Amino acid sequence: MRHEIEVRQMVKTFGKKTALSGVNFHVRRGEIFGFLGPSGSGKTTMVKILTSQLLHTAGSVQVFGTDVSKLRDPSQLKRIGILTDNSGLYDRLTVYENLELFCRLYDVDVKRIDEVLEEVNLIQDKKTAVRKLSKGMKQRVTLVRALLHKPELLFLDEPTSALDPTNKKQIHESLRKLNESGTTIFLSTHDMQEAESLCQRLAFLDHGKIVELDNPHNLRVKYGDSTISLVLRNGSRIQIKQDEAGAQTVAQYIAKGELMSIHSNEPTLGEIFIQLTGRSLQ
Amino acid sequence: MTFSVQRVSAIIVKDVKDLFKNSYMILITILLPLGMAALLSDSDSDDASLLGMPINLALVITGAFVQATMMAEEKEKNTLRALLLSPATRMEIILGKSLLSSLITILVVIGSIFISKMHVPGLFYFTIMVVLSIVIFVSLGTIIGLISRTVMETSIVGLPVLVIFTYGSLISTTLDNPVFSTIISYLPTESFSAALIGLEQNGGFTEIKWHLLNMLLWAIGSLAIAVIVYGRRRFDK
Repeated sequence: MRHEIEVRQMVKTFGKKTALSGVNFHVRRGEIFGFLGPSGSGKTTMVKILTSQLLHTAGSVQVFGTDVSKLRDPSQLKRIGILTDNSGLYDRLTVYENLELFCRLYDVDVKRIDEVLEEVNLIQDKKTAVRKLSKGMKQRVTLVRALLHKPELLFLDEPTSALDPTNKKQIHESLRKLNESGTTIFLSTHDMQEAESLCQRLAFLDHGKIVELDNPHNLRVKYGDSTISLVLRNGSRIQIKQDEAGAQTVAQYIAKGELMSIHSNEPTLGEIFIQLTGRSLQ
Repeated sequence: MTFSVQRVSAIIVKDVKDLFKNSYMILITILLPLGMAALLSDSDSDDASLLGMPINLALVITGAFVQATMMAEEKEKNTLRALLLSPATRMEIILGKSLLSSLITILVVIGSIFISKMHVPGLFYFTIMVVLSIVIFVSLGTIIGLISRTVMETSIVGLPVLVIFTYGSLISTTLDNPVFSTIISYLPTESFSAALIGLEQNGGFTEIKWHLLNMLLWAIGSLAIAVIVYGRRRFDK
């Protein structure tokens, strides 16, 4: 199976500073792949390399099976969508006028504008000048711009950083729908909940290196401590190991009718990141 | 390399809509040269710098600063990045912007001629000189826009261009420095004014050929530098 993105032994340096070192990963067609790391870990540099805004120093980077440098061709650019945290909009123009320009550049029917604006709940602001929109609304307009041409591969760099929980949920829903329709998504974020709720596989990036890569379930199992927590009717909490003795303890509490709830102690992605790197994602 | 007229026209249409919503741009870069042309309409002087001044002002202020402001704003607002990541090629983007700047400059030049009641001698050579000047000043505008971090900074970066190119000969007369005067005499605006006088005195190609050559060299040089700067600084930081 061909991978939409294939990165091998990639290195990126800026002068004497190494931003990314020995990076290896691939993104399968149709998956949502997360790149999780704190600010300054190299996520944005990776997105810029994958979208041919920056040249890598060494190694190989392929997108759609060909060298990333070929991505500058308009026919290839039509296949991708990009949303970065500093994607700009034309402030004096309306939402519609901003999107109309990109419909023409991507050769997309302008009727598509209403369709996507409906999806992100912005249709009522279609004729509003962009300068009058809130930061979160502007973020949604830039997302709409990235989705207008139904890209095969979508790069998202901190796509919901300026959004409130309601809008974030709505955007996540749109992204899931897009992914179900076949779009592969490369998501760069420091928001572990976003990564957990959207991504099928995740890479943890720290100081320019991938320190772990797997699906969220496997990561939790791998870095879990094999204990479970019991909450008893008297309000006390007990932590026990998942072994034969632990099973007998649970059976006793059930037999006595003292057990109220039982939970597995899986670590969050944030906790796994701290275990691996000694620092938090924020 | 692919080229799409549709993409170029999309960029022009967007810039036209944006321009008409930008009163600062209209006031400074379009109405100012027209106002200056009105002020100069009563001058009877046949001094080379004054004869060509309404046109030179239109070329410098409109040609250079419309382009500089558009480029700097695209950079400042991070919209140039969005354009460059779209299927529009670098050539289509710069061509779209330059065509609009050139068109506005031509309209302001025509307006300045009418307002200043200037007699245009030798229309054929005059047209060539205006075309060369537009290439020079739109290229200089591109350079100013790309090296400025903000729209406001274009005024600071561009001020020396405005002063030297427009008032070079006046400064030269005031300073009375032979080295400075020689340097000033090679400016395209000076060649433009001197060639105008040549044409006014019923001169032909022989009389103005060195001025045309000087302007041609300026056009090639400024265009080449603009292409290099655009290649290096097209992405906002």
